[in-house]
Amino acid sequence: MTVERPPLDPTQVSDTAAFPRITTGNREADRILGGGFPANSLNILMGEPGSGKTLFVEQLLFANAAADRPVLYLTTLSEPLSKVVTYLQRLPFYDASRLGTEVLYEDMGAQLASEGIGALVPRVRELILTVGPKLIVIDSFKAVHDLAESVSEMRRLISELAGLLAAYDTTCFLVGEYAEADSATHPEFAVADGVVEFARHKLSTRDERFLRVAKLRGSGYLEGLHALHISGAGVEVYPRLVSPVAPEGYTTSDERVSIGVAGLDVMLNGGVWRGSTTLVIGPTGAGKTTMGLQFALAGVAAGEPVLYVNFQENPSQLARAIRGLTPGGGAAPPPNLHLLYASSVELQIDRIIVAIFKTIERYGVRRVVIDAVGDLAAAAADLQRIHDYLYALVQQFAVLGVTVVLTMESPGLVSSIDETGGDFSRLSYMCDNIVLLEKTRGAQVGRRLSIYKTRGSGHDDQVRDMAITATGVHVR
Amino acid sequence: MVATDRIHSDTPENSRTPAPRGRAVILCVERDPHVRDLERYFLEEAGFDVNFAEDGEQALTLARALHPAIVITEILVPRLDGLALCRRLKVGADTCDIAVLVLSLLAAQGRAEDAGADAFLGKPLAARRLVETARALLGAATGGPALLTALVPESPRDR
Repeated sequence: MTVERPPLDPTQVSDTAAFPRITTGNREADRILGGGFPANSLNILMGEPGSGKTLFVEQLLFANAAADRPVLYLTTLSEPLSKVVTYLQRLPFYDASRLGTEVLYEDMGAQLASEGIGALVPRVRELILTVGPKLIVIDSFKAVHDLAESVSEMRRLISELAGLLAAYDTTCFLVGEYAEADSATHPEFAVADGVVEFARHKLSTRDERFLRVAKLRGSGYLEGLHALHISGAGVEVYPRLVSPVAPEGYTTSDERVSIGVAGLDVMLNGGVWRGSTTLVIGPTGAGKTTMGLQFALAGVAAGEPVLYVNFQENPSQLARAIRGLTPGGGAAPPPNLHLLYASSVELQIDRIIVAIFKTIERYGVRRVVIDAVGDLAAAAADLQRIHDYLYALVQQFAVLGVTVVLTMESPGLVSSIDETGGDFSRLSYMCDNIVLLEKTRGAQVGRRLSIYKTRGSGHDDQVRDMAITATGVHVR
Repeated sequence: MVATDRIHSDTPENSRTPAPRGRAVILCVERDPHVRDLERYFLEEAGFDVNFAEDGEQALTLARALHPAIVITEILVPRLDGLALCRRLKVGADTCDIAVLVLSLLAAQGRAEDAGADAFLGKPLAARRLVETARALLGAATGGPALLTALVPESPRDR
């Protein structure tokens, strides 16, 4: 199958162009929001301190600022203006020349403290009349609650504010350290058109941050938790993979692809189907990585760009292994072979997945090896999530016609499917083909190979002896 | 809120006839206090004499009395809706020369056109577009180009 369209847009939402949108300044976040925030909406950005919401909104402000329609950032009590601006200056999208003309900051903390919260709406009105802001951010709006003398005063303020903002051509963002329970008790949630939640999960060695759209009136959006990463460049967002819609004319391929091990190709009646996913499972030292590399090099030999994703061997270890398996032992790795190495200590699955698809897109990759999916699973805090990811990944590969080998380590020294427990049964139904590697113990360690299943193809049911030599895995 | 109070205090009985010399009169038919506030501010700032009506019937009466250059009306107003008001103005011998701008929450450009409106704008109110449209309507009343085609196409960019 030939894939001619851009390989990937898992996050397409259909109704993007219906009405004007406000870009977030981040392509991925815009996709999650179906193209951006609907213009003239009132939105809440909620999340605990450090979850990335202020950074997100600053990026959004600078992306939208223009001389004829400035953007306005009002701070209240919890965020002193000096602090906001100090950090802002370190970010790449910060542009001092736009401050004060296109991007206007105003600290309302003192005024609200001395005059009460009743000062807020008249000031916003005044700014609308005099400045005509395209966007208005109030950070923190939740802090305004702390200054309110009564619940009814706060309700009145929100109703006035919502009325004013609805009358004028502007888009507003109320930022606050709201917790989930606040959405039931704080009246701003009732008037909000959009609610975006920023969450942070603390893990032992790192934090995982997520963005979730809880509500977006008048727009489609991508549900679920989307990974968010804070870097020196600002906020990066990784939309959650969703199962692709098969493009028109998508059919399964009837082309066989060599697995790179001659004897195994014979057992598979000539190789695996293009676009299929093959799981190679076995104990440590059984030959999984070698087999994965042989599959990769067979692709390179056939002129196909190949991506090898690896979490354990560092690039130089891998280069040595590749040299050993390359006929003639070339000095440099083949140019068609793209390596993606990620240390499992720091990896967040969403980032890996995005990197995989970016590489596929950029180089027109036709074969992928992921060695090993267990490492990917270990990196995920949530096993259901990894399961969903792998499923979506395998689906995407099939649609793209990318042929895949996944390796997976079984826990014992001798392979038996039962030992891998739940992980295997969840993975097995996703994969088209499963190859089992085993080690036998006797006077000498022996190796055996068998095919557990193939989808849409016959195969050799025999358990075969196998050996690993300097030139790779051989099936007897 | 100061501004809202001011509006309530001088509407709807706000017929100051005749208009201050040289200032074109606009009659706004609008119930939303925030929209009225913005209409008054931006249109007065642009040099218009701005008056308000609460509903369509009152607007008809005021239109006959004030003979404004432009009536700006929401569709969703009580007693006589904005489109019916527009039709009545357009058939009245003494009001048919008044330009009508429909400014509505409803996406009703086609219906506004059918009712004989000279221009249509959707809400929320975009200050520059409102003022430009009012000015163009005023220009057209004194021999400018036909307006609906010139003004109505609404691109998000220039709102």
